[in-house]
Amino acid sequence: MCDTCGCSETDDSQNHHNHHHPKKLINLNVSILSENNRLAAINRKSFEEHNILSLNLVSSPGSGKTTILEKTIEALIPSRKIFVIEGDQQTLLDADRIEKAGAPAIQINTGSGCHLDAKMVGNAMQKLNTESGSILFIENVGNLVCPAMFDLGEFKRVVVISVTEGEDKPLKYPYMFKSSHLCLINKSDLLPYVDFDVEKAISYARSINPGLEFIVLSAKSGEGMQLWFDWLLRQG
Amino acid sequence: MHEFSLALEVVDLAQREAERNQAETILEISIEVGDLSGVESDAFESALELVVKDSVLHKSIIVITRVAGKGKCIACDLEFEMHQRLDTCPQCRSFPSIISGGEEFRVVSIVVE
Ligand SMILES: Nc1nc2c(ncn2[C@@H]2O[C@H](COP(=O)(O)OP(=O)(O)OP(=O)(O)O)[C@@H](O)[C@H]2O)c(=O)[nH]1
Ligand SMILES: [Mg+2]
Ligand SMILES: [Zn+2]
Repeated sequence: MCDTCGCSETDDSQNHHNHHHPKKLINLNVSILSENNRLAAINRKSFEEHNILSLNLVSSPGSGKTTILEKTIEALIPSRKIFVIEGDQQTLLDADRIEKAGAPAIQINTGSGCHLDAKMVGNAMQKLNTESGSILFIENVGNLVCPAMFDLGEFKRVVVISVTEGEDKPLKYPYMFKSSHLCLINKSDLLPYVDFDVEKAISYARSINPGLEFIVLSAKSGEGMQLWFDWLLRQG
Repeated sequence: MHEFSLALEVVDLAQREAERNQAETILEISIEVGDLSGVESDAFESALELVVKDSVLHKSIIVITRVAGKGKCIACDLEFEMHQRLDTCPQCRSFPSIISGGEEFRVVSIVVE
């Protein structure tokens, strides 16, 4: 055996590595996200087996994800059990807000990472004692780019935009709108004060994803919130 | 930012494949990045150069091939090259088109020793 590298050939030449380690070409053709996708599939199966409605909430920073969740928790508990995974680069603030509103929450700090991934969610699920029939909200890091590529195993993806952001958001972040099932257009109470054309935003988003559903609402005034609760109950 | 985590995914993937094939080193890794994959190819390449240090890929030649986007107009059936997901049909200006290429983001092959 060759002493230098441990390969099975004897090293009889003076000059080590005159003998050849065969090079081998391995065709893979695998997605770079394949490991995340594998873990997401495990999460998805586990959500199904435990009868948990899992929803991944994505948006730009400050669109109102946490506020919508607070109001949803206040309205649906105790008739429905709700659990929340909060993703933020830093701080425990959002998880504290959720706990105050009355639902168990786990904060994942991604540090410099700009999105949650399936592994983080799987780990968080080990710590949350979710119950059968509950809703699991996963509030992703505020960012419309990075979370788009990372499947968490959620049943449906909900993208939140607010009327202060401009109706061209769907065109600027097509990947996120393409991969979402429902679009919440939040802060409708501010519509009189901003130039946000709801119809235009919807038509832009539909041009990217014809199957996307929309609900216009205000977490602040409560307008449209019932439509959102109804949508949730329709999911099972 | 996310190009960085995607580069780390490549390193993990390469590490798993090296172990599976009982390879000491990966001499070359070949990656395809589609123009419509949502990955900024230059940022991804820079991120990859950073993260391969101290990994199984530290000696590898990294070959990144960009794949042009391809679409087929839903109105007139024209097939055309797309640079962005939002490109309209050059013949009839219709939108959207059915994307038939350029969404790749994968490791095509590795050469191990
Ligand atoms: N006017 C108005 N303000 C709202 C509404 N919903 C949320 N806000 C405000 O918008 C700001 C951001 O809300 P958050 O719920 O923290 O937004 P978020 O999406 O969770 O933010 P990040 O987690 O930082 O990405 C807060 O000041 C909220 O009070 C709304 O419907 N109308
Ligand atoms: Mg929040
Ligand atoms: Zn056409």
